[in-house]
Amino acid sequence: MKHPARWIATAVAVVLVALAVVFGTQIGNDPRADASRSQLAGKDAPKFTVKTLDGTTLTKADLAGKATIVNFWNTWCIPCREEAPDLQAFYAKHADDPDFQMIGIVRDDNKGAVEKWVKNRGDEWLIAMDPGGNAALAFGTRGQPETFAVSPDGLIVGYQFGPSSVADLDTLLAAARGGVGA
Amino acid sequence: MSRGRGWIPWVGLVAVVVAVVVWAVWPSGDQTDAERVRNITHQLRCPDCESLSAGDSQTASARAIRRDVTQRVAEGQSAATIKRAYVDRYGESILLEPERDGIGLVVWGLPLLVLVGGGVGLFFAFRRWRNAAPVHATEADEELVREMRRGDGAS
Repeated sequence: MKHPARWIATAVAVVLVALAVVFGTQIGNDPRADASRSQLAGKDAPKFTVKTLDGTTLTKADLAGKATIVNFWNTWCIPCREEAPDLQAFYAKHADDPDFQMIGIVRDDNKGAVEKWVKNRGDEWLIAMDPGGNAALAFGTRGQPETFAVSPDGLIVGYQFGPSSVADLDTLLAAARGGVGA
Repeated sequence: MSRGRGWIPWVGLVAVVVAVVVWAVWPSGDQTDAERVRNITHQLRCPDCESLSAGDSQTASARAIRRDVTQRVAEGQSAATIKRAYVDRYGESILLEPERDGIGLVVWGLPLLVLVGGGVGLFFAFRRWRNAAPVHATEADEELVREMRRGDGAS
């Protein structure tokens, strides 16, 4: 080995380039980067089973034929509380539309607290409990609030991570009705 | 130790390294379903807490993942199938460790490459030092030292 320093420099350069390639390609795998989008976008809504506060069972089949907004929330999360007035205003705007429905799926909360919340606020859309967290898992949620737009043929066409405004929800609904995806 | 048998320690060293690596990566026989569940959930990131595995976290999501993985293992799904189902829902970031294919292979292979490269480098360095001709002081060197000592004594 005539020039060991040259060999060492080459080896170090090779390692540095390999590291740069690895880091460069893994930047997109930041969990916080993934959180801002849903891997389910463009795919069929997942199978799920939840029970509404009055005991009615809701499944994926109940999404068929309507533009559906599915909102994961709970009573103790501050962003959910911030979002609540917008959800109410949005629902009031579209409640009379027979081709629209909104389902609030409760993530990690107890039924008593939810019933009290709904009674106090007068929320009129479907609210369902997800005690085992299976629906939240099926939709690939990372927290709450998270909102999905599901088209009448059962495709997830829009997603919002974090609190949604009325405008956000309108955009999601337009996507669910076959407009531009959100 | 005669010079002709100088390779024996190297062979011994390589044998020990190979034995340790084989022991570390060798599949540890049949696993129970509970062990499979534990292994898989410890490879999945808890979705609502950044740096804990679903096996370690106590959040609702992590508990749901443990129940779901338990059910899937009971149904006979392989670890790869279960992990793929989670990647489909959450993206690659749900995996705490990079996959052992594609670019993930570089992540796993690079440290090994550096280790092997370092070992080879040390081998050549030791061999060169060993083969280097011994340096002896010349008469002029020794005279210089004697002069210096005399000078120290005079001061």
